[in-house]
Amino acid sequence: MTDRSEIGQALGRLLGPAEPEVGCDVCFDELDRYVELELAGRDVDAEIPGLRAHLAGCPACREEHESLRALVSGQP
Amino acid sequence: MSILEVGTVKAVEPAVPLVAAPPPPPFDLESHEWLRTLRADGATRDAAIARLHTLLLGAARFEISRRRHTLRHLRGNELEDIAAEAAADATLSVLRRLDDFRGASRFTTWAYKFALLEAAVKLRKRAWQGREVPLEPDDWDIFSSTALGPDAASEQRELLAAVQTAVAEALTPHQRSVLVALAVNGVPIDVLAERLSTNRGALYKTLHDARRKLRAHLVERGFALADRLEAE
Repeated sequence: MTDRSEIGQALGRLLGPAEPEVGCDVCFDELDRYVELELAGRDVDAEIPGLRAHLAGCPACREEHESLRALVSGQP
Repeated sequence: MSILEVGTVKAVEPAVPLVAAPPPPPFDLESHEWLRTLRADGATRDAAIARLHTLLLGAARFEISRRRHTLRHLRGNELEDIAAEAAADATLSVLRRLDDFRGASRFTTWAYKFALLEAAVKLRKRAWQGREVPLEPDDWDIFSSTALGPDAASEQRELLAAVQTAVAEALTPHQRSVLVALAVNGVPIDVLAERLSTNRGALYKTLHDARRKLRAHLVERGFALADRLEAE
């Protein structure tokens, strides 16, 4: 049985982020700066617009962002 | 900064406001030392490369340990081989792109991302080794009315039906295959890129264009999308 949340996630995967986004290449180029700005509590959306939306729409870049953030912040 | 909102996509939504990149900060001392030694000659450079390789091997192992639960069929020595290969490839990438380092982060943060990328890509490819990559919607169950629980609101059912129609009617065959493989069948983008002899950036652009077409198709038919979707 599929519930509402599962359907919402499936639709999210199909339709992607509504906001403008950067592509995978820009994401990779900016990822180190983005993570350090995030960890410093800075406004990453103002400084690197479109990257948060890309992370929402691209599972591979999202995983790499999570890993870099965890590694730099000393989390497992 | 290049963004995806080019060509036809630009008409669908406003582009990301371009913000002039601030001048890079001066390198911190540690980053400066990394660059100095990696650009030196002889034994100094060899020692710096060895230190870089050790750093990236640690990052590759970190990535593998985070994904270990998805790789139960791989033995420890196979995982260590993947880590070693990722670290070696990442070291070469860092050395090749040393002039691209702008000091926008610490050098180690910049270098880590190469190792994490190499390890992640190798693990995704390994997990799909020998598996067929489905380009057709063989898992539309989630969109069938019988799979919808009582909690599914009727407007979501309508939207699902409209999405299926839009996938069939609004997309090119290539866009449909890419969308179905990535967003329905869960094929990792690096795996699909390898099978289609392309790269992640080009494939994501295709996915992005397909998504914009679907959204436009649905909006034209009166669907308000904002409240129906959920981030993963």
